[in-house]
Amino acid sequence: MIDQETKIYALSESSVTVVLGDEISSQMAEKVSALNSAIHNSPFEGLITTIPAYATLTLYYDPEKVIHSRLAGESAYQKVSGYLSALSVSRISKENSTRLITVPVCYGGTYGPDLELVARHSKLTTDEVITLHASATYTVYMIGFIPGFAYMGGMDTRLSTPRKQQPRTQVNAGSVGIAANQTGIYPLDIPGGWQIIGQTPIQLFNASRPEPSYLKAGDTVRFKPLTINEFKSLTS
Amino acid sequence: MQIKILRPGLHTSIQDLGRNNFLSQAVPVSGAMDSLSARIANLAIGNGENDALLEFTYGNAAFKCETDILMAYAGGGSNLVALGELLPSRRAIFVPAGTVVDLVNNEHGVRTYLSVAGGWDVEEVLGSRSTYLPAGFGGYQGRLLKKGDLLRSCSSLGPSTTSLLGKLRGESVKQASWAIPYNFLRSENANTVRIFAGREITWFEGRSVIDLLAEPFTIDLKSNRMGISLKGPQMERAITKELLSTGVCPGTIQVTGNGDMILLMADCQTTGGYPRIAQVASVDIPLCAQLKPSEEIYFSLIDHNEAELLLFQQQAEMKKLSQAIHNKL
Repeated sequence: MIDQETKIYALSESSVTVVLGDEISSQMAEKVSALNSAIHNSPFEGLITTIPAYATLTLYYDPEKVIHSRLAGESAYQKVSGYLSALSVSRISKENSTRLITVPVCYGGTYGPDLELVARHSKLTTDEVITLHASATYTVYMIGFIPGFAYMGGMDTRLSTPRKQQPRTQVNAGSVGIAANQTGIYPLDIPGGWQIIGQTPIQLFNASRPEPSYLKAGDTVRFKPLTINEFKSLTS
Repeated sequence: MQIKILRPGLHTSIQDLGRNNFLSQAVPVSGAMDSLSARIANLAIGNGENDALLEFTYGNAAFKCETDILMAYAGGGSNLVALGELLPSRRAIFVPAGTVVDLVNNEHGVRTYLSVAGGWDVEEVLGSRSTYLPAGFGGYQGRLLKKGDLLRSCSSLGPSTTSLLGKLRGESVKQASWAIPYNFLRSENANTVRIFAGREITWFEGRSVIDLLAEPFTIDLKSNRMGISLKGPQMERAITKELLSTGVCPGTIQVTGNGDMILLMADCQTTGGYPRIAQVASVDIPLCAQLKPSEEIYFSLIDHNEAELLLFQQQAEMKKLSQAIHNKL
């Protein structure tokens, strides 16, 4: 798998990071996904989990299990590096490896307090903002920041709006926001600086589910506009 | 076994050794900040290493034993006192029903871990009993303990714990004749934290890297379970490009936009976008968990391989210790 640009470094005594590049793009997200699948399809003894990010994949492992495994190397780090160097990553075909998830969103009003600000910034009407936001296809680049928070790329660049200078002290769970070229959904009630244009009734994070995060890195996402009544009937 | 919280103290939660399986969904590791003290408190009563404990922050807390209790504590945040007598740390202690136990400040550290025979009985969430406060799950109803909370222990006890209980049970407070030795398990100098170079160390001015390794840093009051803010010389950037958010973990020292360093701890985010100047050796993270605001520390540089060896050495010592205890009981 290791081409010229790929680098591996030790993050801690129980984690290594593979650097695949230095950009935010759907091509890069696919590379990260392909590596992630390859690792999970033929894991090494002691692997705990992986964390996909924009252009890196971090592997967590149990160093004691690794050092006693049959992988070649003097240290756990060397053994994991060796495993990674020998790993073959097939180009994954997008069709059979990603899930398409439709997220219903009630745009504007109290659910999307920054919709008008985004419209003004983009020199569009609020309806145009909604149409553009709901007609694009997004890729989840990574889950980070707080449990279940999905950073998504693929937004129409006309909607690109910088973060708020002063973060809101409280953003409601389910709020759909814009920060620069990305869109994201807040899974919990927390302070936050993204421009909020709508809200989904879907629970993005629930610790009592076996898979607590609704979205995962690599997922394909579309948004579907909801009326206020539809939103209310879904949340009641 | 059951206790009732009379005074909860500053920040008291249930923790075990953390949850690792949902990092990809940005669920933090959490778990005991000072995992070494937590393991020792469990070991002292024959528990499993990962059994749930109470993590107290400083003293000024108290609980009442509602039943007979077999317990142990470790960590430098407080001393336990019952009936006017100091209870020794790192040692199995039997306390009869009705006894009130006070936690009194101990200037040596911040956090104290209280184990109970069988571990505290709270539901496992996502494979761990650790509390993660920002999302309100795990531990005791996903929150800090309050006055009046009742905590029960798991009823199934291992053979070592049962044997210990048989030996110590009686009408009065009684302690085991042995304690877990401690000093050989941790760094000799509690104010020197060993680090290895972070991925972006070359993004900083040479002068700043020298400062990092030569100057003292103090612990800022803003520190919590997510991270410890360090005050000292600013780390100046030689390369000012942006870092794309990538995996970070407890022990990572990141440098914020104004040059301040934050040492990430148990409840830290799984990804971060600040450049990382260093990584604290795993074996020294417990020591960091006991650093008090305004306390001074120095960093000393080792390499990753040495950090890994230190971890294996500590694991081997813990295993020997655990074996010795089980043989004894």
